[in-house]
Amino acid sequence: MTEIIADRNTETPDYDDRFDAVVVGAGLAGSAAALTMADGGLDVIMIERGRYPGAKNVFGGVLYTPTIRKLADLDDAPLERYIAERRYGMLTDHDETAISISPGEWHEPPHNDSYTVFRGEFDEWFAEQAVDAGATLLTETTVTGLVRENGRIIGVKTDRPDGTLRAPYVVLAEGGNSLVSERAELKETEQRGNVAVAVKEVVEFPDDDNAIQDRFRLTGDAGAAYHYFGEGAVGDAFGGGFVYTNGETVSVGLAYRISDAVSGQPNPEGTLNAFKTHPAVAPLFRGGRTVEYAAKTIPEGGADSVPELTHDGAVIVGDAAGLVLNNGVHLEGTNMAVESGFHAGKSIVDAAEQGRTDADALSAYAENLEASFVMRNLRRYEWLMEAVENDREFVFRELPQALADAGTEYFRIDREPKESHAENAKERIMEAVGGYTGAAKLALRYRKIVT
Amino acid sequence: MSVQPHSPDVENDSLEDRLYTVKYEDPGESHLDVTLPGLCAERCTTYDCVSVCPAGVWREGEEGVPEIAYENCLECGSCRWACVHGNVEWEYPETGSGVTYKNG
Ligand SMILES: Cc1cc2nc3c(=O)[nH]c(=O)nc-3n(C[C@H](O)[C@H](O)[C@H](O)COP(=O)(O)OP(=O)(O)OC[C@H]3O[C@@H](n4cnc5c(N)ncnc54)[C@H](O)[C@@H]3O)c2cc1C
Ligand code: SF4
Ligand code: SF4
Repeated sequence: MTEIIADRNTETPDYDDRFDAVVVGAGLAGSAAALTMADGGLDVIMIERGRYPGAKNVFGGVLYTPTIRKLADLDDAPLERYIAERRYGMLTDHDETAISISPGEWHEPPHNDSYTVFRGEFDEWFAEQAVDAGATLLTETTVTGLVRENGRIIGVKTDRPDGTLRAPYVVLAEGGNSLVSERAELKETEQRGNVAVAVKEVVEFPDDDNAIQDRFRLTGDAGAAYHYFGEGAVGDAFGGGFVYTNGETVSVGLAYRISDAVSGQPNPEGTLNAFKTHPAVAPLFRGGRTVEYAAKTIPEGGADSVPELTHDGAVIVGDAAGLVLNNGVHLEGTNMAVESGFHAGKSIVDAAEQGRTDADALSAYAENLEASFVMRNLRRYEWLMEAVENDREFVFRELPQALADAGTEYFRIDREPKESHAENAKERIMEAVGGYTGAAKLALRYRKIVT
Repeated sequence: MSVQPHSPDVENDSLEDRLYTVKYEDPGESHLDVTLPGLCAERCTTYDCVSVCPAGVWREGEEGVPEIAYENCLECGSCRWACVHGNVEWEYPETGSGVTYKNG
């Protein structure tokens, strides 16, 4: 317990003097912040509403570990498989056109820092690393509000009897369903067009011991990450489907905007059923049995939706701050959660050394995040979501159909010369993109994806 | 070559069976509610809370006010955003009750 804080100045609010910092939520962002602060010599408590960290958490998912690996030793972390192949499939209602990449490098440690994990296991392990570093973990406790004094945040209220806990710093790491931050007016409630509803199933293959190796062409700990978009994945909605291999099971799910889920689309469960029975997907799940069904939301507002990150006595990190990149090609939130928790934790350690709790003293967090891949990636793709929204009919329906048709034409075997097949294929594409002018316009609009 | 159907049969569990896969502790009272039942009955025509819910919690009820089977809730939060009238009351189930995911 630091004297620094107790002696800081005469205006010091009445903290309980037990902890320097309270972390709301022991997910990836919260544990990263707690671990960083504990390493920096602060007394930290993490408050988690689940029975254990991870008990309430759901993701696809592939955990991206570039930052976590610097904070903890991943050797005994509960990882399922490393990602050795990525596949992007465009689905019409009965065709697939796909690209697959599996660079040899991904088989070598650290495997491009991409591993499937179960959050129910991984988050618990990660929180334990923070506990080992000296942090305290309180589970089965929900933070219900913040305590303020003269505008400054000086603690949290919980649903425990006498559940108020005061501390100089509060880290809001409560995830996308950020009731505490919203009610304290630290951020606005997102529009439903900026939030995706997601459903997921974990499937096992009781009658086929080699199902995963055989169906996904894998050996050892290698795994696969398949992403799908187009009509066959999520109907008319803006979003996509995914399939990821775990050690002994396969995760399948999809996510699309809530604004689409409420208009004309079958409900999320029905959309999942249709995706799983698509002719390109169904063979992966033959004979499978569902071991867990789950649902969650993804904040997708991008850089525009990121709220003010620092406040007097508090910071917001991870999904609570809207730090997720979901642009169809990349679905990354885990790395951003950990990176933000790390920078937030560091700025609190530094501020504590100066005996300050004001937002200005914590501004290094926002600055370092801005300079990191987190905000740079979010800003880089800000325009993309908007462009795709404007072209959604083309991107999700016409393009997948045109590519499937063009492929069918190009590879057609009949008694016509290849020249006419190629011509037909080209025609289908040109028709979809709106001729040479249309193609040029599209190329211009989307050039930033590759440049 | 024999003629084959397009895609193999994949058994999709019923929603009931799916929900059965998730460990659940009943908080004893609903953590979900509508703020103004009259608003659902008189102003709402879309029932977006019903359409978005992946767990069949919200159902169109009698007299236009949705029924809420809160014990099915997966705590995803979608209904909170879905209702444009801001009429969904949403709390976390108390002290760790509600769902517990093993995999997640
Ligand atoms: C379907 C889906 C697929 C995804 N796939 C991927 C993927 O493949 N790769 C990837 O990198 N990212 C993926 N993401 C995004 C990723 O899951 C998130 O970005 C990441 O989990 C954010 O971590 P976090 O710690 O900020 O929030 P969370 O993981 O949501 O953690 C928040 C924690 O706070 C707790 N909590 C919340 N409120 C309170 C409260 N009031 N009191 C106490 N505790 C509270 C929660 O129980 C939870 O433990 C996916 C998300 C979804 C929904
Ligand atoms: S969408 Fe909102 S207003 Fe409409 S029925 Fe549901 S809760 Fe009521
Ligand atoms: S939180 Fe999700 S599962 Fe629960 S009622 Fe709302 S939409 Fe349904």
